[in-house]
Amino acid sequence: MLKLPQSSTDRKHFVIVGALVFVATIALGFFLLAILPVKAQYSVQAEPIRWLFQLHVWLIAFLFALVVVFMLYALIVFRKRKDDDSEGEHFEGNTTLEVVWTVIPLILVIIFSFIGFQTLRDATRGGDEVQVEAVGFQWAWTFNYPNGVVSQEMVLPVNKPALISLRATDVIHSFWVVEWGPKQDLVPGMTTRMHITPTKVGEFKVRCAELCGLSHWSMVATVRVVPEEEYIAWMNQKLVEQNIQTASR
Amino acid sequence: MQLTSLGLVRGIIGYFVGLVVGMAVVMISRLALGMSAWDQEAGWVGGIIFATIGFMLAVGSMTDWLKWTRGVETPFHHGPPVGKPAWTRYFSVDYNHKVIGIQYGVTGFLLLLIGGSFALVFRAELADSGISFLQPGTYNTFLSMHAWVALASILLGVGGMANYLVPLMIGAEDMAFPRLNAFAYWINVPAIITLMISMLFGWDSGWTAYPPLSLRGPVGYQMVFWAIFSIGLSSILGSLNLIVTMLTMRPKGMTLFRMPIFCWAILATSIIQLTATQLIGLAFLMLSFERTLGMPFFNPLYNALGENIGGQPLLFQHLFWFYSHPAVYVFVLPGLGIISELLPVFARKPLFGYRWIALSSLAIALVGFLVWGHHMFTSGYGEYLRVVFMISTLLVAVPTGVKFFSWLGTLWGGRLTFPTPMLFTLGAISVFLIGGLSGPILATAATDLFLHDSYFVVGHFHATIFGGFVFPFFAAIYYWYPKITGRMYNEMLGKIHFWLMTPGFWVMSLAQMTAGTMGMRRRIADYDPALGVEPVHMLITIAGFVIAFSILLMIYNLFTSAEVGALAGNNPWRSRSPEWQIPSPVPEHSYAQPIAVVGEPYDYGLAGSTYVAMAGAGDD
Ligand code: HEM
Ligand SMILES: [Cu+2]
Ligand SMILES: [Cu+2]
Repeated sequence: MLKLPQSSTDRKHFVIVGALVFVATIALGFFLLAILPVKAQYSVQAEPIRWLFQLHVWLIAFLFALVVVFMLYALIVFRKRKDDDSEGEHFEGNTTLEVVWTVIPLILVIIFSFIGFQTLRDATRGGDEVQVEAVGFQWAWTFNYPNGVVSQEMVLPVNKPALISLRATDVIHSFWVVEWGPKQDLVPGMTTRMHITPTKVGEFKVRCAELCGLSHWSMVATVRVVPEEEYIAWMNQKLVEQNIQTASR
Repeated sequence: MQLTSLGLVRGIIGYFVGLVVGMAVVMISRLALGMSAWDQEAGWVGGIIFATIGFMLAVGSMTDWLKWTRGVETPFHHGPPVGKPAWTRYFSVDYNHKVIGIQYGVTGFLLLLIGGSFALVFRAELADSGISFLQPGTYNTFLSMHAWVALASILLGVGGMANYLVPLMIGAEDMAFPRLNAFAYWINVPAIITLMISMLFGWDSGWTAYPPLSLRGPVGYQMVFWAIFSIGLSSILGSLNLIVTMLTMRPKGMTLFRMPIFCWAILATSIIQLTATQLIGLAFLMLSFERTLGMPFFNPLYNALGENIGGQPLLFQHLFWFYSHPAVYVFVLPGLGIISELLPVFARKPLFGYRWIALSSLAIALVGFLVWGHHMFTSGYGEYLRVVFMISTLLVAVPTGVKFFSWLGTLWGGRLTFPTPMLFTLGAISVFLIGGLSGPILATAATDLFLHDSYFVVGHFHATIFGGFVFPFFAAIYYWYPKITGRMYNEMLGKIHFWLMTPGFWVMSLAQMTAGTMGMRRRIADYDPALGVEPVHMLITIAGFVIAFSILLMIYNLFTSAEVGALAGNNPWRSRSPEWQIPSPVPEHSYAQPIAVVGEPYDYGLAGSTYVAMAGAGDD
């Protein structure tokens, strides 16, 4: 059995706790990454989000381990023994320590503000090679393309930067395709925008993410990301179906 | 004894009389103006206002004030009402802060049970996908009611702890304004009745009541607006009273930095409540006016040219969160104060860094005023605001960290024992840690664009609220139970309660976060099984029921122990705090003579030191 020192300020305690915190951080980090599978992965804008999320997870793992390991260690090592009626050690605080654990978090805040700023920029910027307007209303979506095509599903070409304009006609809604990452509210009286560059072909769902009344849960529309040729073909077919003469527009 | 001798019964009668009178007044005015008599929006608003006044008059909370206007003197009556059983004072207006504290606490606890049951109802619905027994409209009402009932329960629970403990801890006879104290408690009761009536009509916006949705739904909204307005009034008056009490009624020798640390937490809380609550009161009244009178504050309206001559929906969100973010610190600061209060007692050690903990409460309260916009990252407000609010929000982590580390310093080198209150204190730390650490990930705006309005947020705030309020509240109940009743609770049952509730809660909040990252939206009546979240939801529901069951054990414990528990004596925890130096239960006049402070509050382990000198009153 390891013989633990009597004094609570003995170095040995901190060496043991330090080692335990290290092990716990690694274990916890992987555990958290496993139970927090960020499903945002199929757009250019999702990348920085996933990256920052995982950075946070490691910081969380460390801080959680730090507090919990210290706490559990104290609970076990400094528990009152059966025949011991003495009081705890008498110290009322330590200004150096308090300053340290004020300043280090402050530095972390500054670092994370900076990283957060850059990530935000990367997660919200993009081009407008494709433009589409999404209109949300209780409890469905329609999608208008600049050439006049109106559709019940949203079709976008893969790997092309798209600018989505968002408009609500009644109450606030929110445009969220989980796999793409960011969401953006639709607010009556104003037009909001978001940039998305989808990177994976497939069928997804846009789901309203802001409670908008009775059937909010079912305010869902299909989103298809297709190769560019397929997109052009779809668009041409829509034009024909809807009798829109490209020339007259 | 007649039923109507209970203030509560008279109040309820007054409520319904007022309701009818109010509706009649509105109808007559409308007829006089040449309109149709009945308009449900106007009718109900008039009804609720008169009903609230009717209740407050009939319950007797304004009787003394009305007498003063006529120059009649109203000396205090101490003790149970003459000629009636002692328990009746809890159902009538009573000016003793200990009675009012219990009234607050018990009402808060009841609301916690009601709000919790609403959650169980919709958790059962969400256990698997597909709509089974709750139709979406009912689902939305239950969800929204759950939130406001639970929030009201927290505000009342906080009021209970503050009213009972603060005067005792500073050795004061009572609060500064006992009548105002009673008024501030009783105004919650008609508000709760009104809130319950809203269920008959339904409402479906969640607690945030964002317009335009909240301008369109059923008339139940009006009841919510006015109920919350009254509860807000209670917060304002109650916090005013607490601030004055703490600043002016401390005993000789108790400088601010010698107050029990819980008082610092309540001071910070009260500053927030006194200054921020107006904003939500205003915001909800504006919604009511817009619904009733068509004043265009929030809903855009267009003229023939397509210009907006109406309102702006985002304005509401600013007003709402300017209160509701600081409010989350109202929910947790008192609980963090309880943690700081209990740790030294069970570690037999001084509170580590008393001044830092005290000032960190103030710092959290102040920074808390600058961060409201983190609830609006996706709202469409100016893009640069996202950066501003990201930085201010991250700053909150600094004073919060100070608390955690100081708690560790308090435990380190102690002689720790683990009765139920200590277990709940430690549980609170672990749970609040989960909540706190999931905060910054929502604060960096980019990640929030993904996580906002998802179950991740649900996991975050339940962890902060349980860690910052529910666990410490339970710790406080177990801890002061012997002081209130004179008897010990059942330790075995207390421990079972803890060991069911704590792991249950860990599982629940982590699973909620998992669901969020998998794409589960919050506030939906049914979800798409294709997301793969069904097993996670089953887990959340099971954990929720385990927590609920454990709370039933607590209630059973508290009820039975009041009869059969072992006699507690004055000071079963060997605390230095003044309230433990007097008999349990606390006598009508808590302190026979004024006390004096002669030492530091938490000098455990310093031989020969005491905190208070009790003139006259010895150890019995
Ligand atoms: C380290 C401190 C904290 C940080 C950085 C933080 C950050 C945030 C952020 C950014 C959000 C918005 C998430 C979203 O809606 O997308 C949020 C939501 C929330 N937080 Fe915190 N938080 C912290 C502590 C707390 C505490 C102490 C409470 C107390 C109860 C709390 C209660 C809430 C609630 C109730 C919501 C959700 C409100 C709603 O949308 O209904 N948070 N938090
Ligand atoms: Cu919607
Ligand atoms: Cu907030």
